Amino acid sequence: MTSIVLACGNALRGDDGVGLYLAHRLYGAICDAETEIVCSQQWLPEQAEDLSRAQLAVFIDASVAMKAGEIRVRQVRGVDEKPTATTTHALTPERLMGLAREVFGRAPERAYLVTVGGSSFEHGAEFSEPVKNAIPAALRQIQELLCDEPVRVG
Amino acid sequence: MGNTITIDPITRIEGHAKITLHLDDSGDVAAAHFHTTQFRGFEKLCEGRPFYEMPYLMERICGICPVSHLLASAKACDALLAMKVPPAAGKLRRILELAQLIQSHALSFFYLSSPDLILGMDADPKERNIFGVAQKQPELAKWGIRLRQFGQQIIETLAGKRIHPAWVVPGGVNEPLSVEKRDKLLTQIPEAISIAQKTLKGFKWQLENFRAEIRTFANFPSLFMGLVTIDERAGYYQGKLRFTDALGNIVADELDPANYQDFIGEAVEPYTFMKFPYYKPMGYPDGMYRVGPLARLNLVDNCGTPLAQQEWIEFRDLERSAVLSSFHYHYARLIEILFALEHIQEYLEDPIITKKQAKYSASLNNLEGVGCCEAPRGTLIHHYRVNEEGLITFANLIIATGHNNLAMNRGILQAARHFVRSEKLTEGMLNRVEAVIRAFDPCLSCSTHTDGHMALQVQLLRPDGKLVDEIRR
Repeated sequence: MTSIVLACGNALRGDDGVGLYLAHRLYGAICDAETEIVCSQQWLPEQAEDLSRAQLAVFIDASVAMKAGEIRVRQVRGVDEKPTATTTHALTPERLMGLAREVFGRAPERAYLVTVGGSSFEHGAEFSEPVKNAIPAALRQIQELLCDEPVRVG
Repeated sequence: MGNTITIDPITRIEGHAKITLHLDDSGDVAAAHFHTTQFRGFEKLCEGRPFYEMPYLMERICGICPVSHLLASAKACDALLAMKVPPAAGKLRRILELAQLIQSHALSFFYLSSPDLILGMDADPKERNIFGVAQKQPELAKWGIRLRQFGQQIIETLAGKRIHPAWVVPGGVNEPLSVEKRDKLLTQIPEAISIAQKTLKGFKWQLENFRAEIRTFANFPSLFMGLVTIDERAGYYQGKLRFTDALGNIVADELDPANYQDFIGEAVEPYTFMKFPYYKPMGYPDGMYRVGPLARLNLVDNCGTPLAQQEWIEFRDLERSAVLSSFHYHYARLIEILFALEHIQEYLEDPIITKKQAKYSASLNNLEGVGCCEAPRGTLIHHYRVNEEGLITFANLIIATGHNNLAMNRGILQAARHFVRSEKLTEGMLNRVEAVIRAFDPCLSCSTHTDGHMALQVQLLRPDGKLVDEIRR
């Protein structure tokens, strides 16, 4: 099965970089060496093509809305959203899945969004303590998703 | 009683800005201002830092055109070292510059402006974006994504990463290009050229639908400025500066960018952080000039590559003299994509491109250096002074978008006078005023070094400053 990991965040804004950090930790630690890992500051329209080639996608991001250190996994339903944004600076996983389907004819059969709640988004490359403590569990859950093992999806 | 209209934020441009339109007592637009309201101050924060840090510090000004800042800064450092770069490095730097032009122009045309062209200026703003284009014309969206990807892929192949690479160094580049990487890039060029040609064909077919916009989008006489090479082609990486007028006459030529302060003045206005460069001999604001794709195609006598040359001839046939409508920035952008692809192919096919000698070394030999190149949006100038220890004591940047500041302000006034007919704003009116700015493809994070989101606000104000109407996005 072809898998892709799409992580986004800013490595210089504290907890915002946790998605990128997790993605880098996946190198050499995942079941399938063919899994493509893509890191960027934000999800971009051109990543729709990468997405269209995969059967399984895992998006990783930090969240300002969740409790620091909390980990959530939810399934991304690749429904075609009606466009609402006037900017390409705020793409959601659903929007990217829809774009992959509209422009490249297909999107992954299964996709998940893994988010880690953060508390410090100031300048700097350090994570807050709750995020540091959450990293092993987040990594384990992402690995399980990529290895097709059962993960509790919220 | 007069009023003022404010458009805030302006959407689908790179940066954050607003527009105010001032109405007179009879309800006609009397004045228009394009405001950028934040600044970052890179010129100041780099003082005291070693000059060799500048390329990597300055490229952080922008996430769209970091390569241009990297190159202009590295060239200014080359000047401080008083050195030339190895022949292969010079060509590799040129490829990098052109690759960035492709990805940046693709972003501007397909992601930001094609919604206006495909869905219409009056379409619902919720659908008037790249996702709306993907629904209506998925093939066009795919072309845009492919071209942008290819430009980014070239940058990544050469420089190691797509954004903020550290590959260009004073004295050359850090690593030569391997034969394998060169061959892989070459195999993808025919598809990219085909996409550029198909897009141009479709764009030209659409032009008849935009007569009013062509007539009113910053369509006026002005000077044009840009780098020109010794063989009379647009000089994207190097050359001498040329000014031409609206009739196509050369006003000034063979100007050394290192002496830019002799012929470019820099004015400021209280309503914006973006400065107003002007051609000094004509004074401010009469010395208004335009830079970027439209200027570059107006300045030269030939385009230089076979397919782009055919398109350039057709483009210049739009007018007897210079092409004046800023709506045609879009057209020029597409021709430049085609040119860049052909030119990259030429460079890659040159055996010198894989030579191993990629950089020279030297120590500090000058206390002042200027680097200049053509960024996607126009001429970019980096100017540094250092002390004997090589620490920066002065930095001045003139950014492409800044050069166009006078023309953008005049352009929104022209469009607003044509499209704004009452105190009450309509979405189509608002979008046309925005679209004038979008045609220039301004990069405000570069030109004001702003920090924040790009957005647009239009305010309608009375002569006494009282707000009458406002639209925000």
